[in-house]
Amino acid sequence: MELDFLATVLLSSLSSASILLIATLGLAVVYGLMGVINLAHGEFLMVGAYSALTATQIGLPFFLAVPFAVAMTMLIGAIVELLIIKWLYGRIFDTMLATWGLGMVFNQGAVLLFGTVSPGIGMPQWNFKIGDFSLAVYPIAMIGVAAVMLIFVYFLMTKTVYGMKARASIQQPEMARAIGIDSARVNTLTFAIGCGLAGFAGAILVPIIPATPSMGLFFAVKGFLAVVVAGPVAVTGTAMTALGLGGGASVTASFMTSVIGDVFFFLITALLLWLYPKGISTKWRRKL
Amino acid sequence: MKNLFGALSVTTALALTTTVAMAEVKVGAIFDLTGGLNIYGIQQRNALDLAIADVNAAGGVNGEEVVVVGYDAQSELSKYTQFAQTAVLRDGISAMFAGLTSSSREAIRPIFREANIPYFYASLYEGGACDRQTFVTGSSASQQLSVLMDWAVKNYGPRVYIMAPDYNFGTISGHWIHEYAERNGAEVVGEDYLALSVTDYAPTIQKIQAANPDVVVALPVGAAQTGFLEQFAAAGLKDSIGVVSTNYGSGNQQVVVSPQAGEGLISAMGYFPSVESEANTAFKAAWEAEYGTDTPIVAGAVDVWNAVQLWAAAANQAGSTDTDAVIAALESGLSFEAPNGTVTLEPGSHHLRQDIYIARGNATNGFDIVETFADSAPSYENEMCNLIENPDLAEHFTPEG
Repeated sequence: MELDFLATVLLSSLSSASILLIATLGLAVVYGLMGVINLAHGEFLMVGAYSALTATQIGLPFFLAVPFAVAMTMLIGAIVELLIIKWLYGRIFDTMLATWGLGMVFNQGAVLLFGTVSPGIGMPQWNFKIGDFSLAVYPIAMIGVAAVMLIFVYFLMTKTVYGMKARASIQQPEMARAIGIDSARVNTLTFAIGCGLAGFAGAILVPIIPATPSMGLFFAVKGFLAVVVAGPVAVTGTAMTALGLGGGASVTASFMTSVIGDVFFFLITALLLWLYPKGISTKWRRKL
Repeated sequence: MKNLFGALSVTTALALTTTVAMAEVKVGAIFDLTGGLNIYGIQQRNALDLAIADVNAAGGVNGEEVVVVGYDAQSELSKYTQFAQTAVLRDGISAMFAGLTSSSREAIRPIFREANIPYFYASLYEGGACDRQTFVTGSSASQQLSVLMDWAVKNYGPRVYIMAPDYNFGTISGHWIHEYAERNGAEVVGEDYLALSVTDYAPTIQKIQAANPDVVVALPVGAAQTGFLEQFAAAGLKDSIGVVSTNYGSGNQQVVVSPQAGEGLISAMGYFPSVESEANTAFKAAWEAEYGTDTPIVAGAVDVWNAVQLWAAAANQAGSTDTDAVIAALESGLSFEAPNGTVTLEPGSHHLRQDIYIARGNATNGFDIVETFADSAPSYENEMCNLIENPDLAEHFTPEG
């Protein structure tokens, strides 16, 4: 095995894992932190992608289209929380049913609004070489994006006053209210942040994966598994599982086939859930 | 102008009075109008409605008006069988136009065989479907690849890499790529069959570079696999390695893919909107008047149009919509001027002899036709499937290996 091939495989597998992490962090916040299974997570990602696409079509540069997409999805997320999620806290199956239906509405709404095909943005055509192998810059840059995103979420949820309020409102809602935290408003904001993270993912990934109404589906399954395997320490745990499962699957796919890569992903997931039914982070002493 | 209004009101009045008197012929339609496959299904259904309107405007079938009983399969296989049964048992249809994926066709084909109702499948596919009630107007994999591989080896070189979806369309196409590469003295240096849900093509792109091919035959199916083309171009490989396909553009992928990734990609299909012919100009004008110019017309839509026209012509020729009479007429070597050139229904194989176009993606999300291979025969289907000699055949032929 040549060294350049090995280096290329490692680097691009790290990039694949980062892309999975970017797509999953919003889910980690909403599911891991709030205990809400948001089956419309993929559709929020799709909304983010279309928001970014629309913004660039009306002439906004891409680096401004991304914050626009985040704002849009946060707004929609807040509305959804107030209208639907708020009434269903603690009713896990009802939430699943409601968000699943919501996802279908978003999906068909996108078909009606944007049609079935929309022009893509396209990646910057920059690339570099390692030995004989050429790599695109944009997907590799996602490693940095994922790292920044992870640090941002971690600090937001552990080091800021909002973060403490957010965790208090979910873990001890009555106590939180007793000491003067408006837990309903905090929950709305947390759900909106989760959706905003999905929107960010959709926007930042739209050059790599073309925007289509059903694009959310491609990330939903693996994202959910990564979060479920991660367990109670949602953010750090998800970073670990995305890296291990996503990166591992990509390395396997490089040396064998993508089918075996997927088999690796699902087998390891099943094995980990068998060993740690409540997630790998059950005994960790971290907060998040 | 006044004359036009006069003429219009006369025809409306005529239409109003005659619809009451005219008997109806019902045809069924099952397409995916919602769900992931609707990038194809909506256009197929639009083409069907347009073709039926065209047939009715020309006097209907044997003087009777054709009425569509339509269903939305919602991109779900189970809905196909359910609606096919309903159409047969309740609606009393004379012909059925349905299906996109091979799995949907195989799910409902036995139902129409059993009910003895002509069934038209209008989509490009892997080839090999063969029974007396089934008629295929899309091009088959061997029909397209035979032409495309000759062209690709001549224009790019003898080292071929295959990137295809991991189900029968991909693997059977893979078989033909091997066979036609060999015929041209070329060699398949690597192949990768991928699940439809794969979004990460870095492993494939590395394997392609390790194999060092002259040309990649890419058959991306669905939205996720379209991402491969984007990632391939961004890695800077498009300038040194050619990319050819038999389905790029079949779902308007050239609109989704950015111009910098789509320019120069080669596709071989039975129809592109830029085909120059009188029939196509008229077809496009009728289409655009009804559905606008937002989305380019896909090959699958023209396949449906052709299916309806062939059925109507056969029913008129037979003077009846009785199944045996219609099938006999369909097996009489029917031919007509379609939007994609002259098409002829092969009596033995029930497949369509048609032009195959090789087109190159341009900088404005469209296609320029590079070469036309007129009157290409579905040779594999003709070889395996002769329903004139063996009317009882009910097979799905797949090439060995």
